[in-house]
Order: sequence, then C-alpha cells, then structure tokens
Amino acid sequence: MHHSTTGVRTVIPALTGLCMLAAASLPAVAQEATFALTSSDVGAPSYNPIKGTQLNSATSLIFDRLVIQDADQSFHGQLATEWESSEDGMSWTFKLRPDVRFHDGEPFNAETIKWWVAQYAGTENAFMTAAIETVEIVDDLTVRFLMNAPDPNLLSNMSSIFMSVPSPKAYESLGDNFGVTEAVGSGPYKLDSFTIGQETILARNEDYTAASDLSENQGPAQFETLTIREIAEDSTAFLELKTGGVDLLFTVPTDFLPRMQEESGTTVITLPGTDLFYIPINTSVAPFTDIRVREAVAFAINQQEILDNLFGGIGAVGKNFLISSLLESEVDPELNVSYDPERSKALLDDAGWIVGDDGIRSKDGVPLQVALWTQNGTEYKRVTEVVQAQLKAIGMQADMTVLDAASINDQYRKGNEHQLAVRSYDWANADILDWFFSGERLGYPNVSMWNDPKAEALNHTAMKESKTWEERVDNFRAYHEYVLSQYVFAPIYEPVQNFAYNNARLSVPDTVHGTRLQSQTILDMAPL
Amino acid sequence: MLRFAIKRLLMLIPVFLVVSLIIFMIVHLVPGDPIDNLLRVNSTAEQKAALTAQYGLDKPLIVQYGIWLSHLFQGDLGQAIVLRRPVSELIAQNLPHSLILGSLALLFSTVVGIATGALAAIYQGSWIDRTVMSVILLGSTVPGFWLGLLLIMLFAVQLTWFPVSGARSWSALVLPVVTIGLGGVALVSRVTRVAMMEIARKDFVLMLHAKGLPSRRIQLRHILRHALLPVVTILSLRIGWILGGAVTIEYVFARPGLGSLLINSLNQRDYPVVQGCLLMLAVAVMLGTLIGDMVQAAMDPRIRESVE
Amino acid sequence: MISQSLATLKSILRTPRGGLSAAVLLLMIGCALFAPLIAPYAYDIQDLPNSNLAPSSAHWLGTDEFGRDLLSRIVYGARTSLSVALTAICLSVAAGMTLGAMAGYFGGVFDRIVTAVVDLTWSFPEILIALILIAIIGPGLYSTTIAISLAYLAQFTRLTRAQILALKSETYVEVTHNLGAGHFHIIFRHLLPNALTPVIVAGMLATGDAIILEATLGFFGLGAQPPTASWGAMMSSGTAQIFLAPWIIIFPGIAIALSVIAINLFGDSLIEALDIRSRLRAH
Repeated sequence: MHHSTTGVRTVIPALTGLCMLAAASLPAVAQEATFALTSSDVGAPSYNPIKGTQLNSATSLIFDRLVIQDADQSFHGQLATEWESSEDGMSWTFKLRPDVRFHDGEPFNAETIKWWVAQYAGTENAFMTAAIETVEIVDDLTVRFLMNAPDPNLLSNMSSIFMSVPSPKAYESLGDNFGVTEAVGSGPYKLDSFTIGQETILARNEDYTAASDLSENQGPAQFETLTIREIAEDSTAFLELKTGGVDLLFTVPTDFLPRMQEESGTTVITLPGTDLFYIPINTSVAPFTDIRVREAVAFAINQQEILDNLFGGIGAVGKNFLISSLLESEVDPELNVSYDPERSKALLDDAGWIVGDDGIRSKDGVPLQVALWTQNGTEYKRVTEVVQAQLKAIGMQADMTVLDAASINDQYRKGNEHQLAVRSYDWANADILDWFFSGERLGYPNVSMWNDPKAEALNHTAMKESKTWEERVDNFRAYHEYVLSQYVFAPIYEPVQNFAYNNARLSVPDTVHGTRLQSQTILDMAPL
Repeated sequence: MLRFAIKRLLMLIPVFLVVSLIIFMIVHLVPGDPIDNLLRVNSTAEQKAALTAQYGLDKPLIVQYGIWLSHLFQGDLGQAIVLRRPVSELIAQNLPHSLILGSLALLFSTVVGIATGALAAIYQGSWIDRTVMSVILLGSTVPGFWLGLLLIMLFAVQLTWFPVSGARSWSALVLPVVTIGLGGVALVSRVTRVAMMEIARKDFVLMLHAKGLPSRRIQLRHILRHALLPVVTILSLRIGWILGGAVTIEYVFARPGLGSLLINSLNQRDYPVVQGCLLMLAVAVMLGTLIGDMVQAAMDPRIRESVE
Repeated sequence: MISQSLATLKSILRTPRGGLSAAVLLLMIGCALFAPLIAPYAYDIQDLPNSNLAPSSAHWLGTDEFGRDLLSRIVYGARTSLSVALTAICLSVAAGMTLGAMAGYFGGVFDRIVTAVVDLTWSFPEILIALILIAIIGPGLYSTTIAISLAYLAQFTRLTRAQILALKSETYVEVTHNLGAGHFHIIFRHLLPNALTPVIVAGMLATGDAIILEATLGFFGLGAQPPTASWGAMMSSGTAQIFLAPWIIIFPGIAIALSVIAINLFGDSLIEALDIRSRLRAH
C-alpha cells in the first residue's frame, strides 16, 4: 500500500485550499462599529427632539442642528452657515447651508425652519423658541427671526440637541410615532431600527454634506453601520468594552475608570462635565412644607464622601444647582450647600422633631419617614443607598423605591405622593432653573411642586427681560440665589464626562470638539 | 391516541379560561384607574375615549373580559405603554430567544441527567454513586442566578471563553443553557437512578441475567429504556421549571426573551406587556405539559386508557 | 406523641447526615433569632472609606460596596430569609391542609373545583406565580411572603387531599361518623392529625425552595428594600462589584446553599426515620 505519495499529493493542495479559505473568511477592514450608552443615557423613550424631554447621545447622529457650540463657548455652523443679530437684539438672520436633504429626500430650506420653529409651541421645549415672534422667509436659504424680546440665549438654545431639525414631511405623517418607530433627520446616519432601552441601529447617510467646521471629515461618516447598544449595568458595560463586545462607551462608569485607564487596549478621554446629581424635594407635602426640614436634608448629605468613595474622587462635589463651569453658579458662598449634619440636627430639633429610641425622629406621634425614589442604574441606586444612610444619621427614615428609568417621569406625572428622589440632569445653561422650578411646570419637571411668587418674578426677569449676555448672567444669578435660599433641592455631585474606546479598532481625533461626544467628533472616527 | 390527545386538549380549555381571567384581572386589581394602567400618562381625552370604546372599559367586568378574549384570538394583545409598539410584536421578537434557550436547557437536563443517573445506578453503592449524587445535590440547592453569576465570573471574566451577556453569538448560549440545565439535572438524575434500581429488581431482568446476557448490555439496553417512562413523567410535570429558570437566567445574562421582557415591563409598570408575557408563559406551560402527557401516553398504553 | 418524636429525633441525630444538617440548621435559626447578639456590626451602618474590603481579621467575610460588614449582613439576612420562607410555608401549609382536607373529605363539586385549581397551578413554576402576584400587589417583604405562600399552596393541598382520601375509607372513620360525630370534628380531630406528618415534612422541604424563591425575588429587586439585609438583594448589588469584590456574591450564595442543603438532608433523614416516603407521593 503506497499511502505516502498519495498522502502528500492530497495533503498539500488540501492545505493550500484551507489556507485560502481561511484568508477569504477573514473580515474585511471593519466598516461597522458598536457603541454603548450607559448609566443615565439609557432608556430614552424616543428620538423626537421637539416633543421629547429625554434624548440620548446618539441623537446628534440622526439629526443636525443650526449651530454647534464648542467648549470655548464659540458657535460653529452646521445647518446654518452665517448668522447675525440686529443691534437691539430684536431680529436674527440666519443663512442656511445649501444642498442639504433629509434622509427621505426632502429638501432643507427656509420653509423647513419656518415650519420647525412653529412646532415647538405647546410642547415642553417651547421655552427655547418662546422669544421668536415670527419667522420671515427672506429667500430660499435665508430666514429672519423677529423676536418679541431680545434673547441673548438664542444661539445657545439652537445648539442644544433638543433643537435638532427633523424632516417636516416625516414628522407630520408619523405624528406621535415620530422618533419611536422611525426618525428622519438630515444627519450623518439614518435610523434603521430602534428598540427602547435596548438598541438603535444606524445606517450611513451616503449623501451627507452638512458637517460643521468642527469636523475634519466634511463628507459621509466612515462607518457603514453603527449599532448603539444600551447597557444599564456598569460592570457589563465595562466588560463589553474590555472583551471587545463594544468599541466605545459614551460614558465610562466611574467605578471602572481607574481600571479602564490602566488597560492598554482602551483609551479614555475626559471632557468637562455637564451633569449634576441632586435631590429634588417635594415642597407641597409634609414634612417638607417646613423649610427647616428641607434645609436639614440639604446639609445632611456628605457630598465629599460620596465623591471619594462612590466615584473614586473623580469629578466635583455639588454645591448648588448649576454646574461649576457656568458663571451663574458663582453665588454668595453663604448659600452654597455643604455637609453639616450638626446644622441639620439643630434645624430638625428646632422644627419639633424629637429623636426616638431607634434613632428616628418623630413629632406628635408621626415618625419622620419619607419616600426616596430613584431610577434604575448602578450609580443611582448606590448614591441613593448612601443618601438613605446619611438621612438616617440625622434621624430621618427614608424608604427607597427603585423605578424604571424610562417610566420614572411618567410616575411623577401620575401625581403619586413622592417626596425625595435622587435624580440627575444634563444641561449646560442656567435656564435649567426655569425648567425645574418654574411655577408653570408643576408636576413634571417641577417635581418640587414649587410655586413661589418671588421666584416667579425673578424667573421672568431672567428669562424674558435680559437684553445682553452679561445682564442675563446677573439676573440668573439672582434667581439662582433665591432658589438656593428656599432649599427646594439638595445637590450631591458633579461628574466629569469620560468616554472610552477600543484603540485597536477605532481611531479617534486627538481633540474632541463641542461640549459632548456628538456627531462632530464621531464623523472623524475611522476604523483601524 | 388521537382521542386521548383531543380529550387532553379539551381539558385544557377551562384551565386556559381561568388563567386568562386572572391575568386579565391584573389591570383591575392594581391600584389606580385601569385606563391609567393601559395608556401613557399624558394621553388626550380622545385617546382615552378611543381605548374605552375599543376594549369596552365602561362595561361590566365580564363583558370586558369577553372583549379582551376576542381581541386575543385576533392576535391583538394591546399596545405597550413605554415601548409604544403592539404587544404581539414585542412577544414575537422575544419568544424565539426563550424557546431556543428553554429547549436547549431541557435537552441538557435530560441528557446529562439520564447519563449521571444511569451512571449512579450502574455503580450503585460505590463511591461513584455517592460522588455523583452529592454533586447533583449541590446543583439543585443553589439559586440559579448565583450559579449563573459564578459561571460568568469563572468562564466569562477570568477565562474569557464565553461572552458575559447578550445573545449576539451562539457561544453566548452556552453559559445560560448550562445554568438552567444544571438546575434540572438533579431531578432527572435522581428519578433515573431510582427507576433503574427498581426495574433491576424485576423478574424479566433476572431472566435476562439468567440467559447470560452481559450485565452492561442489560443495564443500558433494557433497564434504561424502561426507566425512561418515569423520567418523561417527571419532566412533563415539571416543564414549568424550565420556563421559571429561563425567566431568571435571561435577566442575569441580559438576554432578550420573554423573561427579561416580563421583568422589565414589571419594573416599568407596563401592564399590557406584563399581561401579554404572563399569558404567553402560561400557554407555554400548558402546551409543554400537554406534550409531556402525549409522550408519556405514546410510551405507555396504560395511560391512554385511564384518562379521567 | 412527644416521646415518639423525641425518639425519632434521637435516631436522626445519631446518623452523620442527620447530625450535621441539624447542626447547620440550628446555626441558621440561631442567627435569625439572635442576630443582634451574634453579628459583630450593625447591618446598616455604612463606612464608605472601607468599602469592598477583602476578608480580614476586622471583617471576617469582608465588606460590601458601602463598607458594611458582610458577615453581619449575612447573619441578619438569615433573619429575612428564614422569616419570609417559614411564614410563607406555614401559611401555605395551613391553608393547603384546610382546603385539601375539605376537598378530600367532602368530595363532589367542591373537590372538583379545588382539584382543577390545584392542577392548574401545579404545573406552573413558582416564580411565575410569585411574579403575577407581585405584579398586582407591588414589591416588598409582605408581598414576597404572600406570593411565596400562594405559590406552594397547590403542593400542600394536593398532598393533604391524597392523605385524606386514603384515610377516609378507614373503618374507624365510618364508625366515628355513625356514633354521631360531626364532619369537622372528624376532619380536625381524627383525619388531619394522621395526615399531619407527611405534610409537615413536605413543608420542611418546601422551606428550602422557598428560601431560594425569596432570594430570586430579592435578586430582581422585588423583595426587601434597602437597607434590609436579604441574601438575594446582596447578590444583586454585588454583581456591580463582580471585579472588585467577588466575595459579595460568593458568600451569600454559600449561605443559601448551606441552608438549603441542610434542610434537604435533615428532611431526608426525617423521611427515612419515619419511613413515610411512600406517603409523600401525592397522586
């Protein structure tokens, strides 16, 4: 039997064939990437910028805005190419970018803007266009806003993700379903599919030309498909990036930041923060109708300990209601909140709450027992458990309830007897004070249920009567100080923004433009 | 056989009615106005009126139940509040994942259970028997989610053989299937072992020995075959635990499926989805039991005769 | 009755299996009853700078993510698990015995309805029944107790009914009835005491399952709310620390495993000692 020769003759071609097969099945340079949303970015119920009050970081990929703000406060045009305001601030003229089409083929022009501004009336975001009286179409690519009052904040508003421009045709025809089952914008990516709380699949817009000058890449994006996964559990998110399951995390869970920085396969980029963790207090329900009890809650929170132990010392303590990069956050130091449990205890003693044998206070037979809500998500739950313990230390028993992130705002609207909660907001402008504390938004977002005449007057001055940016800062500072003096919330923590990516799969520009990781930077990302 | 099948199917109808009635009542038993539990909070008056008309929410409960049932049979399970999609669509998306997980876990339990039980029975009394049964005991006394977490820590985190979560690849199925499967191995194993030991004492086995057939052959070919009936019996009775296991494990491994859909919608208080999932799971349990009964009947003629 | 029980107990304790499991059970019950005395620290005092510490001489089982002593929390967790499981099973046994006895004794339509309902829930996994109930009454300690007791109701009803059916045909029942005893007298004074033993033992074994069910519900966040120590909830929040502090997941799991194994082994010894294995089959 001559096995050897026949063996060799069959083995070599077979091996070659196998090698070729193997080579052919190697993936071509990856044209797809998977990004992950984590923590508070999870659970956005829709991609509707006009009606929505919660949008995730992938929104800027589907829609464009008129302008984008950079970290140095300068504005760069995206859908707008030039703009100017009149001396008295009563009119603004915008020149629009030509040859822009929405994903459904509809043209973008002055008519679009006129239609778009009108959509905000009656929505929760109406305050952003409230100062615009009428929109004049000067020509096909020029619009003029005629204001009913000067609005020094207009450009800042226009750069918000909530001022993204959807396709009028799609918006009208989809109605309430816009942003849920379908979303049509003009951005670098089209929405292929969206499953709330789970995943968004985006397909490249091959005809994209509306990049701002913040991006080097002025054409279509570099990835054919982007899968955006939503991962609420921090350890899972970390593991997925580490093991290559995802290529980028929009937010790095702070617990894992040190380890992520040590990993050679991942790169972490830090940006100044725009979030604040805080506790809104329901002023309309006992015991919080008493300002002393509210003040006691505010000073019972050991912000430093939370910062050091829950967040590894990364970020800053929360002192008041605005992020520290805003000028309006520089208030009278007396009004800033810090950790002072003795002050809290004295206040509660003063208000008649006597400490019982079990350490919990009571007054007239009623124990100091309150509801403490929070939303699903590792960081929220942990901060809330610590807050619970810190409140117990001053004699207040807080019963914790964890609600789902996508439906917690609905729970507020249902008018349940809520008292305290651990929430966060993501906003880089002082008008967040109006959003959460205006008497015209009782229920939600004004979950503090606060309607104080003096506050309303200060609010009006700040929002409607500021003529210049400097005036606006002063007016908002005054409003901010009054809000602080009434203790309608308790600040906790100011995170910084960290995002991380797999440096073997993605190339990311050295400088990140804009105040967040959005389309302007993602356009410049390329596969390796 | 056919008559048996039809009879069993008919017996399921009253069961289905009672179960669906209880599930239907959930929306009415929960505190609050049922309409608030079925619609989004800032729904308009027209939307409320439309829903009321469609589901007869202003009519007596029994009529509402009837209307709900009729919608059910047309495939309309209502609209999810948070996800704003038809519940039937959500279920259709998630059901296949659960079915795959459940079937593979059932297969795992059966195969591994029978193998270990037979092993223990054949080497009855020896250290093999004792070791196998002890390990099996351990597997059934730990909570499934703990076992899942331990497996993740060892195989996904330390050894990185498998993905930590999700359903992106076939390898993502391994850890969840093993976790659920191990929970059921104990029962199957125990029953196999006991059954084989009992059958070994029967006369016909003695006769086989007397005929001079090799012991191993007797064990595997003859005894094991007869031991399968009690195994199928016990499996069909406890088919529910597979689904119970799936519900928990899907959550631990962040896999899509009816289980995670149910838990998430419970947290979101999205009652239409909760009802849809519970109904689907209940139907799955009933069908599973029915199939188990049929297999039993196919294997044992005595059962076919004795349908009450 | 008492001396008989003591004799049974002694025979169990003599076996290694019985003795060891009894010891573990005593330990667990001791933890539950005397938690404040046994636990070295309070279960809810946080010590953030010392979170996620590995086991050490100061903290034998380490600390959790809030710096709370894990050993203390496991001891207090025994209280939660045991009280919920025992209460639930006791309720379940009481209700199940009553229903089963009446169904078995009176027969007829009542029996048919009860059997139908029992058969219905019998094939459903307990977790599903518990979830349905929690969907209605909301999460929390009381809800989990009620949910668990309802989940096991079918088992005890079925078992009792089978016992009663077997005993009903005994001559002494007919004689007692002819002597003028009322139905309920017969049920409660004669039949149930004889049916008691297998049901109690089954209840004991079910307690082990109930502990696991309570832990599972706690893991989903549907059970006891923070800061109450619950083995399931501890493991749930421990998953976030899967890298930094795996002991937060491992130790509560071991606690559950040990408890359930001990219950099962003791139950098995009891069954053998009382020789009632055949009476535990409930068809």
